[in-house]
Amino acid sequence: MMTIKGYVRENGSVGVRNHVLVLPIDDLSNSAAVGVAKLVRGTTAIPHPYGRLQFGRDLDLLFHILSGTGANPNVAGVVVIGIEDNWANKVADGIARTGKPVEVFPIEGYGDLKTIERASRKAKEMVQEASEKQRTEVDISSIVMSVKCGESDTTSGLASNPSVGVVVDKMVDLGAVAMFGETSELTGAEDIVAEKMATPELREKFLKIYKEYVDVIEREGVDLLGSQPTQGNIKGGLSTIEEKALGNIQKLGHRKVNCVLDYLDPLRREKGGTLCFVNTSSAAAEAVTLFAAKGSVVHLFTTGQGNIVGHPIIPVIKITGNPKTAKFMSEHIDVDVSDLLDLKISLEEAGERVFNYMLRVLNGRLTAAEVLQHDEFSPIKLYISA
Amino acid sequence: MPRGLIHSESDDVCVVTTDVQKGEEVLCAYLEKPASHVMLKSLDDIPLGHKIALRDIKAGEKVLKYGRVIGIATKDVMKGQHVHVHNLRSLRWGRR
Repeated sequence: MMTIKGYVRENGSVGVRNHVLVLPIDDLSNSAAVGVAKLVRGTTAIPHPYGRLQFGRDLDLLFHILSGTGANPNVAGVVVIGIEDNWANKVADGIARTGKPVEVFPIEGYGDLKTIERASRKAKEMVQEASEKQRTEVDISSIVMSVKCGESDTTSGLASNPSVGVVVDKMVDLGAVAMFGETSELTGAEDIVAEKMATPELREKFLKIYKEYVDVIEREGVDLLGSQPTQGNIKGGLSTIEEKALGNIQKLGHRKVNCVLDYLDPLRREKGGTLCFVNTSSAAAEAVTLFAAKGSVVHLFTTGQGNIVGHPIIPVIKITGNPKTAKFMSEHIDVDVSDLLDLKISLEEAGERVFNYMLRVLNGRLTAAEVLQHDEFSPIKLYISA
Repeated sequence: MPRGLIHSESDDVCVVTTDVQKGEEVLCAYLEKPASHVMLKSLDDIPLGHKIALRDIKAGEKVLKYGRVIGIATKDVMKGQHVHVHNLRSLRWGRR
């Protein structure tokens, strides 16, 4: 049995951070949310541009992301601010099911200043309560992690991604949950991912999700040449989407995928370890935001050319196999595995290096992205608003 | 120390792991069995992370990396030349 020190929440889930969140439901509420975070030390506001006149599946996804972010075990308590209280209450109800403190403050009828005062009084209480929560020894199987690569280059497929693959195998074997996504970026390797599915039903669900995603792109009358590979990918030597995808999937490890989640599906743990495909966009912040909303408490992010993404409530660990990026963007890089390129270390040793670093982060060490205030919160929007 | 790595035995390309100057000799090692390797002369300047052709490739031929097709050559490529978007294109996208 392997343990880490985490925060056990009211519903038994385990977090590795202890944030008090100030959650705006809509764009109009960002000012008040940021206002609270300025007044009350120890709070984190997560402004975003959405939440008005959305409808259907797109609105459900926004609620899923906002509720899921508040419900994430890295969060101790949540102050919800919305222009009106109907939608705000819906999101708060989703968070309240975890048993953690959550309270809604509507702006209509009060104005920003009174709302900031009311919400700040509550936030102050929550921060003081959260400050008494202690880390306790818990089995590592309670951890939910996620993986994604960004600004990839050929070193991603050679070094950083397979190193993360070693960690994914290890975590699944230890009974934990690992999630991956990037639906469109699997193009050229989608058949390999389909082969990894544990059952025919999961394979079918995965291929349906993949096809729907690509169909949306084709319906726009375009393909993704020019976007995929990105200009950064091309600069780093990746020539085609197929080449990029084959590098991408190196981080999935070698276990069967026993869980496939579409946008609105909640995470379910499988006995003996869970490896989950999650339907996500391949944009870094959107993907990490969705993983966190599904319950990920730590993210392993591999980069070749130097993607610098972070997230307001989950630590994002940056890993590179590119020696130039490790040198010239060192403040963003947590783990350098570029010595794999010289064959100075084995893949297992590189994986062990990433795993050990992740343990330190789970136990409290801050990542580069956390210290540099990379707090990207980017809900996925599916289509136009009304 | 190798200056390039080859993912799979059937691959047509090697990824250079240092910047390579035109005319330099490059030792490419196979990831699956690092003791075996090939030596070839670079015909181009090739930046770290970019690909060098391990054989002569004719226009229209499929190009393998990871033992899989990563695209199709859009012009003749000589062994030792830089392989990238100027002579390789996706079979999945970019055909319109």
